[in-house]
Amino acid sequence: MDTAFAERRRRDLIVAVVLAAIAATVPLFVKDVYVQNIMVLTLMWGALSQSWNILSGYCGQISLGHALYFGLGAYTTALLFTKFGVLPWFGMLGGGVISALIAMALGYPCFRLRGHYFVIATIVIAEIGLLLFHNWDWAGAAMGIEIPARGDSWLKFQFPRSKLPYFYFALALACVAWFVTWWLEDSKWGYWWRAVKDNPEAAESLGVVVFNSKMGAAAVSAFLVAIGGSFYAQFVYFIDPESVMGFQFSLLMALPAVLGGIGTLWGPMLGAVILIPLTELTRSYVGGSGRGVDLIVYGGLIIAISLARPQGLIGLFSFKGLAGLFSPKRKEAVR
Amino acid sequence: MTPLLETRGVWQRFGGLIANSDVSISVGRGEIVGLIGPNGAGKSTLFNLIAGVLPPTQGSIIFDGEDVTALPAAERCQRGIGRTFQVVKSFETMTVIDNVIVGALVRSTVMRDARRKAHEVLEFCGLGPRANVLASDLVPSEKRRLEVARALATEPKLLLLDEVLTGLTPVEAKTGVELVRKVRDTGVTVLMVEHVMEIVMPLVDRAIVLDLGKVLVEGKPADVVRDPKVITAYLGDRHAIGA
Repeated sequence: MDTAFAERRRRDLIVAVVLAAIAATVPLFVKDVYVQNIMVLTLMWGALSQSWNILSGYCGQISLGHALYFGLGAYTTALLFTKFGVLPWFGMLGGGVISALIAMALGYPCFRLRGHYFVIATIVIAEIGLLLFHNWDWAGAAMGIEIPARGDSWLKFQFPRSKLPYFYFALALACVAWFVTWWLEDSKWGYWWRAVKDNPEAAESLGVVVFNSKMGAAAVSAFLVAIGGSFYAQFVYFIDPESVMGFQFSLLMALPAVLGGIGTLWGPMLGAVILIPLTELTRSYVGGSGRGVDLIVYGGLIIAISLARPQGLIGLFSFKGLAGLFSPKRKEAVR
Repeated sequence: MTPLLETRGVWQRFGGLIANSDVSISVGRGEIVGLIGPNGAGKSTLFNLIAGVLPPTQGSIIFDGEDVTALPAAERCQRGIGRTFQVVKSFETMTVIDNVIVGALVRSTVMRDARRKAHEVLEFCGLGPRANVLASDLVPSEKRRLEVARALATEPKLLLLDEVLTGLTPVEAKTGVELVRKVRDTGVTVLMVEHVMEIVMPLVDRAIVLDLGKVLVEGKPADVVRDPKVITAYLGDRHAIGA
């Protein structure tokens, strides 16, 4: 019936498989641990941003409080392991479920808010979460939790001697987040979410239950972000409230999607591939002396990209996008 | 046979303003009914009450034999009430076909079926060639048509058209009228709010005139146009002489 559409869907899937396969072979050539570390972070932030994109990009409910779910994932895994000896794999699942439930509980009052008021609410709630963990003695309070290293183990998801297992897990996570987005994009939920973003009143008149759509998006989004948080805890071995729930994490989840193309399938990954290495490289080459030059460079680049491509870099990846960049009409289109 | 839609003693107050007072109308199956009246007569409010955007202050709305007064808009759509908006509300960042798929998903959550249905509806409404264009790129008359297409994709029993023919060129309006007739011929009942008398009166089977929130007159279009109450309230003296 609609072959062009089916073809585009198939092409997206094939490109993703090819890219994932290429990414999987990179560590065979790149042995440098520092670079491997950057690759792990890039994939992790790509996965997180992809998850954030489900609620904020597709469904249009801009959240700047997703650090809460990231932190909940990290804390659930770390606490279950250190206090009760529960394996991180179960902790990961537990963290995901807890985050999804909390996202829905918070969504119940917050999804009545619109636009900026919703954004402010997400920021405030994440800050409250941060303060609670700061003062929660059982959870290590401001001191944080150290995850005891017991040698390489897939069971305990610990690999003190190698980055590779982390790399492959992060790659798998990025693939899962991408695939979930791909799959949801052409489902009832995907259409409902975009309709809710564009015009809730019209959506309602077409049988879309707006409130349930937002709840669904929030749950999926929070679940995936929490898995990322769990992974991060295992990756760094030590967590405290600031290092997993700070406001900067919420921003770092939003930025790749916003710069790459918010509400698009490829935007978050593209944004992460550009932004995360940039962050790390500016930090190590021009930062580190406390003058914050790295942040100035980083901030400047973000401003440059947003001015040149306010609709996201992903638009460049079509012929029309490339042509548009050089056409005199560009400014008009940008407004 | 029971009417498809009935409003029984419906009131709507916004603070001190009474938008609808004791409005009781009924729409039979297969009819095209025109809802007319001067600005501020309460037509749009009545539309919103029927579509479920807000609950009436008092009174009840019966659809297809069931009291739907307490149901939200989405659920009324599932029961078979489709609507368009006076100020078009397209999903601007989505393509035309995707806009219509949102509506089609009410009846089928299998994507392939919803997509096929959406294509059929677009062809029916004459928007077939525009399927893959962004809704924001449509010209105003096409956007009106998209509103109708989206609503039709929900397979309504009753279609509420809110000024879909207003502000169109004569040629566009004529194709619009043909579309409404075509819709009725597929078995859909139509209730339409409209301003342009010349277009509406030949189209509708029955006209209901609202004035100051009340039903003023209802009946065959030809009788309504001649009714002295309608002429003074709405159509003016010039029209009376002409008739």
